[in-house]
Amino acid sequence: MNMRREQLAIDPEKCTGCRRCMIACAMKHHGRIDPDLSRVNIIGLDSKDLNVPVICMACDTAPCIKVCPMNARIRQANGTVTTDTDVCIGCRACVYICPVGSPRINPYTGRTMTCDMCEGETEPWCVAACRQEKALTLCTQGSVSHRAARKAASKTKQFHTGG
Amino acid sequence: MKLVIIGNGIAGNQVAFDVRKKDPDAQIVILSAEDVPEYDPCSLPYFLGGECGRMDVFRKTSKDYADGRIDLLYDSKVVSIDPENKTVTTHTGEKIGYDNLVLAHGGDLFIPPIPGIDTPGVFSCKQLGETQKLAAHKGTRAVVIGSGAIGIEAAEALKRKGYEVYIIELMDWILPSLFDEPTAKRLENELTGYGIQVFTHEKVLEIKGAGQVIAVVTDRRTIDCDTVVVATGVVPGTALAQTAGIETGRGIQVNRQMQTSVPDIYACGDCVETIDACTGEIAMFQLKHNAIEQAQVAARHILGEPVRYLGAYAFARAHFFDTHAATFGKTQRALDCVFGDKRIVEREDQNNYLRVVMLDNRIVGGQAIGTFADELGLLIGAMWRKDDFLDIAAKMRTLPKGGAVHAWPMVRLGTLLGM
Ligand SMILES: Cc1cc2nc3c(=O)[nH]c(=O)nc-3n(C[C@H](O)[C@H](O)[C@H](O)COP(=O)(O)OP(=O)(O)OC[C@H]3O[C@@H](n4cnc5c(N)ncnc54)[C@H](O)[C@@H]3O)c2cc1C
Ligand code: SF4
Ligand code: SF4
Repeated sequence: MNMRREQLAIDPEKCTGCRRCMIACAMKHHGRIDPDLSRVNIIGLDSKDLNVPVICMACDTAPCIKVCPMNARIRQANGTVTTDTDVCIGCRACVYICPVGSPRINPYTGRTMTCDMCEGETEPWCVAACRQEKALTLCTQGSVSHRAARKAASKTKQFHTGG
Repeated sequence: MKLVIIGNGIAGNQVAFDVRKKDPDAQIVILSAEDVPEYDPCSLPYFLGGECGRMDVFRKTSKDYADGRIDLLYDSKVVSIDPENKTVTTHTGEKIGYDNLVLAHGGDLFIPPIPGIDTPGVFSCKQLGETQKLAAHKGTRAVVIGSGAIGIEAAEALKRKGYEVYIIELMDWILPSLFDEPTAKRLENELTGYGIQVFTHEKVLEIKGAGQVIAVVTDRRTIDCDTVVVATGVVPGTALAQTAGIETGRGIQVNRQMQTSVPDIYACGDCVETIDACTGEIAMFQLKHNAIEQAQVAARHILGEPVRYLGAYAFARAHFFDTHAATFGKTQRALDCVFGDKRIVEREDQNNYLRVVMLDNRIVGGQAIGTFADELGLLIGAMWRKDDFLDIAAKMRTLPKGGAVHAWPMVRLGTLLGM
């Protein structure tokens, strides 16, 4: 398993629900202003006036990799877990087993997509889009929030394997 | 150390490559009853339906075995094990010695004793070879016997290929071990909507045809057809283990380190009987993620690492055309013989449906169709954590609007449950 050097941290307290991150993500990956094409998802919990950014945590023992019938969920060298869209058949097993429900379905192809940390960029575009609110931030290895984020990600491991 | 693995499936390969990663010196041999590198049985229905190519079903190439210095012996079906002399015998009579042996030969298709089951035109979808034959077969009307996940997937695949498709299920509703009746009836309606005919509570009596299938006779009707697919379940391969005197129940019995009752023999994957990670009950889930995790445990123990398997978990999806559904944990029916305060929470919104099964205010299972399924992982998490439903309900009532931010995971769960 690859430990990620960088981790996105979410802070629902700071999220205003503006969804600029979703636009930025769709622009970065598809060149379109279309929130349906975003890998970040802002879930509005209206009953309590809450907005929660949902994004792939790249779990240490990612259950989505094990349940995919097409072996399309792949751990990348940078630690992220992404979908090989050439073989994904859109069965959504990865969506159902994900503890946060993070994989999103590309409505045009029916295949899944998750965060790839904008490989090659200095900073993920969603983080740049959220610079003012700081609901989405990037923490690098060794920082306190990085450790907290990794702890959250390894919780999945406890859910799914108990170890 | 010489490690011999029986079965070139998901579990066998996981053990072989995990051991190789940490032990460069071990001699590793995989004995395979088939003649291809590792493939994923889960993807076979999609190959059959033309949703993916033949190459996409493979998880390994011959080069992977060469690079890993793993000897993969094709057409080597093991017929007996001699634990005293530490050898296994293949169907050609060849004897192979081992220091550690791993049984990873999965399960066998259950073939119901129906007259005519050997007639040409009767296929299955369990292994690549058989699925290829079915894919090459040119028919127009197919009867699928059995409506488990494999039966439904095979039916969809044949429908995609242009067949007229009929499903026959002995029980009262389709996917009987995975879904409760209200969920299954909805799925059945969807199948019918796609033009797949479903007959439940019906028993196949005979497959007719001399030299080629011409009809399937049930206790209610006769269906003319030229193709039959048998999808009546998978039974763990215990017979081979019994030749070594290994204890078996419904499957091969193993401890938390995946060791069988005979020293130096491990077992993992579809052939074993384990425990449910949540309830501690005996479990036979026969699912890919369990096979992988059991194999990882076996490999670590072979390598001398301290490790303890925590159990298998039930999670399956039912997906055909534009219908998406999933299930986890126990069904309501599985709780029938359990004491306790049982409660079913249901939500419905157009074609989307959620059904949560609770026992003593804790989630023990759930089923969902459509958008509700997309957040099923939250419920699975709640089941693992044994969250108290009454606590969540109380929190949802008392948390102030705008001031609940630290409780957001609970609010998300409560919102999904319709609170
Ligand atoms: C059509 C289909 C769809 C499925 N879909 C899903 C799904 O969506 N999700 C899910 O979680 N699971 C699914 N499964 C189940 C999943 O494929 C199995 O749980 C998994 O493959 C088990 O792995 P295994 O290694 O134990 O057995 P297998 O993968 O079955 O491998 C066993 C291997 O051993 C070989 N073998 C058998 N006997 C001998 C012998 N005597 N000597 C030598 N070799 C032998 C066999 O040829 C086979 O290659 C599906 C199964 C099928 C058939
Ligand atoms: S289970 Fe979910 S959060 Fe974890 S790696 Fe997979 S998609 Fe990402
Ligand atoms: S939707 Fe695609 S990536 Fe997800 S489990 Fe299914 S095939 Fe794999």
